[in-house]
Amino acid sequence: MFVSNSMVRKVITIDKEASVFEAHEKMTSNKIRHLPVVDGEKRLIGIVTDRDIRSALPFSLLKGREIGDEKSSCSAEEEKAKIAALKVKDIMTANPITISPMYTIQDALLMIQREKVGAFPVVDSDGTLTGILSVRDLLRAFINVLGINEPGTLVGILVEEKIGQLKKIVDAITEEQISFGSILVARHWEPNTRAVFTYLLTNNVMRVKKKLKSLGYTLLDPMEWYLDQLPKSDKN
Amino acid sequence: MRKTGYLHDMRYLLHDTGPYHPEMPERLIAIHNGIKDGGLLDHLTIIPASRAELKWIETVHDKNYIRRFEEICLCGHTTFEDQDNGICHDSYETAFLAVGGILDTIDMVMEGKIDNAFCAVRPPGHHAEQNKAMGFCYFNNVAIAARYLQMKWGINRVGIIDFDVHHGNGTQHIFETDPTVFYYSIHEHPSFAYPGTGREFENGAMEGKGFTKNSPVLPGQGDDIYKMLIERDLLPAFERFEPEIILVSTGFDAHKDDEMADISVTTEGFSWIMETIMKLGDTYSKGRVISVLEGGYCIPRLPELAKEHVQILLNV
Ligand SMILES: [Zn+2]
Repeated sequence: MFVSNSMVRKVITIDKEASVFEAHEKMTSNKIRHLPVVDGEKRLIGIVTDRDIRSALPFSLLKGREIGDEKSSCSAEEEKAKIAALKVKDIMTANPITISPMYTIQDALLMIQREKVGAFPVVDSDGTLTGILSVRDLLRAFINVLGINEPGTLVGILVEEKIGQLKKIVDAITEEQISFGSILVARHWEPNTRAVFTYLLTNNVMRVKKKLKSLGYTLLDPMEWYLDQLPKSDKN
Repeated sequence: MRKTGYLHDMRYLLHDTGPYHPEMPERLIAIHNGIKDGGLLDHLTIIPASRAELKWIETVHDKNYIRRFEEICLCGHTTFEDQDNGICHDSYETAFLAVGGILDTIDMVMEGKIDNAFCAVRPPGHHAEQNKAMGFCYFNNVAIAARYLQMKWGINRVGIIDFDVHHGNGTQHIFETDPTVFYYSIHEHPSFAYPGTGREFENGAMEGKGFTKNSPVLPGQGDDIYKMLIERDLLPAFERFEPEIILVSTGFDAHKDDEMADISVTTEGFSWIMETIMKLGDTYSKGRVISVLEGGYCIPRLPELAKEHVQILLNV
């Protein structure tokens, strides 16, 4: 689960001398929100986001409407010229937070939560841009981890927090020749218990459910689980 | 009383899914016993199975896929493409008999010999994709039926109602871009149940946008929610679409005693669903309703469910 497997490799970039208009046009036509800024050697020097552009350009220009407010001190023409002269280097974030292609997806998830950004440029050890990883790519990776792009059934099992419990469950399910899409283990509100969510790649869970019950496990009522039953913190 | 056809043939028992498989031949025996013991056989037009012509199956499934299925069966394998899909030597032929029987039933309805019908077939079909067997399904019976209605009988608007507890991924995908077939499904929410599709936002693609409608139901829910969702989602959709004929993917696995899923519809709840479908049929489709069996695995409950189902078709 490395960033290099999930990142977008064909990165659309922009030059620092390019106009802000050009950056805006590049983003809308490619439906992207982040443009890494590179020098002639493909080395990363900054990043512009759609938010940077929105705050740089007046609303009327973004919508393609004529600007011109008679009451303003400078004329419409002057303002237009000023904006047209704005370059990427004037609005970009220089030296943005980057990640290495050898970071894990878990690293990236935690970093995106901490840094509150929408994407990380991926650079190798000599500073060359090799990819970009956005929230969108992380979501795709996480959907893969959950296995939910394959047909299956979710079964929730309550287990005591004791060594070897998970192995027993995995063995019981494997004996039924059922493959796993994923297994998630979450804390449960009852003390010393864990909730194990197995995503099983089968339509046929009747027998395995009976078997788990006969082994003494409690199956979780599907409406009473899910990870959000954990006490929620009031801060994000 | 209406004239109701009953597609019934002992050869549908020949498809053997292997030991401990829930999609077992006993399902059809239980269904037949319910109809027989309910004294309904005398009122029904019994339709025997017949072998479908390959060309009709090819209207939905790839030639290569069909050949693969044939080879796997004849070679004596016990599963096809997935551990779920138990098969035997006779499964391929049985699947042809299921389709053939349904197509004959369609002819009888279209020729006016019967008003409606219940097709008690195995194997089921709604999970089968154009190119893939899934969830005990090999040929998508209902999808082939819809194509047959379009091609042989020139039907312009086919309405499909799927109340099996699982989403009919195959049927949805086959007609996803087709605005002449409306697919409606009510099923257990895909985050909890197989096959993981049929979310509320799946509503067709391209020209078919707006001609697919899904009503996912959370675990533990039953009659009330089914009633509410069918009234909210299905009725207005069919009022706009005005299907010329209605195909029903009938699954009894949403029953509260059926352990395949976590939905709790009662036998009365199933009757309400079927009565509602019959009303839609009377309003838009000249009463032409063809019900095709999909899932339903609670053997002790199947007799009463089948009896009620057929009584509603007969209107007795
Ligand atoms: Zn089902």
